[in-house]
Amino acid sequence: MQTPAISILNLFKEFPVPFKREPLRAVQGVSLDVQPGEVYGLLGPNGSGKSTTMKIVLGLVRPTAGSSSVFGADSRLVQSRENVGFLPENPYFYKFLTGLETLLFFGKLCGLSGKSLRERSMDMLARVGLTDAADRRLGGFSKGMLQRIGLAQALIGNPRLLVLDEPTAGVDPAGSHAIRELILEFKRQGLTVLLCSHLLEQVQEVCDRVGILHQGRLVAEGRVEDLVSQRNQTELVLENASPELLAELRRLSISSGARVIDQRHPRTNLERFFLEATQPAP
Amino acid sequence: MHPQPVHSWFSARRVAALAHNTLLELVRLKVFYFLLLFALLVIGSSIFTVNFSFQNPLQVLKDIGLGAMSIFSWLLGLLCTAGLLPKDREDRTLYTLLAKPVSRLEYLLGKLSGVFLLLAIAVALMSVMFAGVLALREQQEIAAVMQSSPPERLAADIAAVRAAAFQANLIPGILLILLKALLCSTLTLLLSTLASSTVFTLLTSVVIYLIGHVQGVAREAWMSGADSSAALRVLAGFVALVFPDLQLFNVVDEIAVGTALPASLFWQTTGFGVLYIAVYFLLAQVLFSSKEI
Repeated sequence: MQTPAISILNLFKEFPVPFKREPLRAVQGVSLDVQPGEVYGLLGPNGSGKSTTMKIVLGLVRPTAGSSSVFGADSRLVQSRENVGFLPENPYFYKFLTGLETLLFFGKLCGLSGKSLRERSMDMLARVGLTDAADRRLGGFSKGMLQRIGLAQALIGNPRLLVLDEPTAGVDPAGSHAIRELILEFKRQGLTVLLCSHLLEQVQEVCDRVGILHQGRLVAEGRVEDLVSQRNQTELVLENASPELLAELRRLSISSGARVIDQRHPRTNLERFFLEATQPAP
Repeated sequence: MHPQPVHSWFSARRVAALAHNTLLELVRLKVFYFLLLFALLVIGSSIFTVNFSFQNPLQVLKDIGLGAMSIFSWLLGLLCTAGLLPKDREDRTLYTLLAKPVSRLEYLLGKLSGVFLLLAIAVALMSVMFAGVLALREQQEIAAVMQSSPPERLAADIAAVRAAAFQANLIPGILLILLKALLCSTLTLLLSTLASSTVFTLLTSVVIYLIGHVQGVAREAWMSGADSSAALRVLAGFVALVFPDLQLFNVVDEIAVGTALPASLFWQTTGFGVLYIAVYFLLAQVLFSSKEI
């Protein structure tokens, strides 16, 4: 049996509230495992306990009860973060550093040094499309560029687990698409990804499994296909179907006892339409 | 694939990376412009002391220069340290840093080391400026003596001017000024792990600085009084233990008049300073480790 990338067992977290006897229960009995190579989406409305759970996994917050481990190492230990890359929501880095200096700094914290660190930093800048901004200070970066340098710093230590908190928050559709493509690339490379996001459509596209938190409790968990598929319904998409063929299909369906719920032209989604419309001319 | 680095519980490299980054941050915030004020003050004093006739102008200049160095280094340390932790917390840079394999001890030590480096550079720069102004003034004084002194006293008068200028005995005094600034910065770091606002940290640190300068005198007054009660003695003992006696570092008056600082006093004061720095840092580490961010 493989050691889970993340293992959370019966996790509780309470925060004391000033002048109140009752503490705030941010996480209540959450248990979940994320397997190596899996892209796991942690979903939930604001205040559902997503961020607290993520902070416990990263060792930034201590659990009141229960446990959390990363590749078998207790999250409270610094060693557990050896294989972790983290991209916080709306990342703020040191504005006085340039793109390259930021990666060199975070690389040193991950134990890299010398020529290999410099090469790795340049590789990461190229990977997120920021080679031209290597010598620009972060103070002048756009939101999308900050998000991309955030991804590069998360990847600098060659992690096995990536924790991404709202990675596309505030990013334009093209940037958002690029980040989604990167996540899919990580998945192909076998990286484990824990993704916290409000964008359900995006989560559905990239995640293997999702967990839904509500009021600190894990209210649903499973494979995305299992959670969203309607097993008693079937979609049939036809190209160049004549009105006669459609009428015949409808007649056959009714005569066999099935119910035709809807018949319509499939639509592209707005994001795809936007990307096609804004694509530079060849 | 790149090889995975092997983690150790403490890494001097990580601390050095954090210290270098902190120093870079402070340098790029242009905190060294602050030292221009010091330069103006020392140069202004040099011009002003030309008119002093009742006291040796070089001694007055040393008094002012060393006093200003003491205040400027303390103020620089205070302003640089008070905002370090709150800023990282507010900007959430702290999340990104501590999500790396960096322990809180390494983080805190790195930050403080960065401030220490900055203060060491600042005190070195101030010393160079101070020595430069003092050397210029020394030349002016020698020129004046050569014009006014009778030939039989010329050599003695020139020697007296040289003795009053920059001498090696000033260096231990300058080192103690640096140590005092380091101690006050560590105290400010400790306060910033407790406080939720930078303003509170700054104000409390200033109050403790003032207490540190008067507590020695107050303690002696309380203890020597005939009516000193046991409670008063306990209070005096507590104040003496918690707040460092910063007056011990004030050796400016003695060294400005040319008195060499006894080696035993220098090492005793250095030991006292280092001990307080270690204790304050350990307390800051304990508080920061237990803090949820």
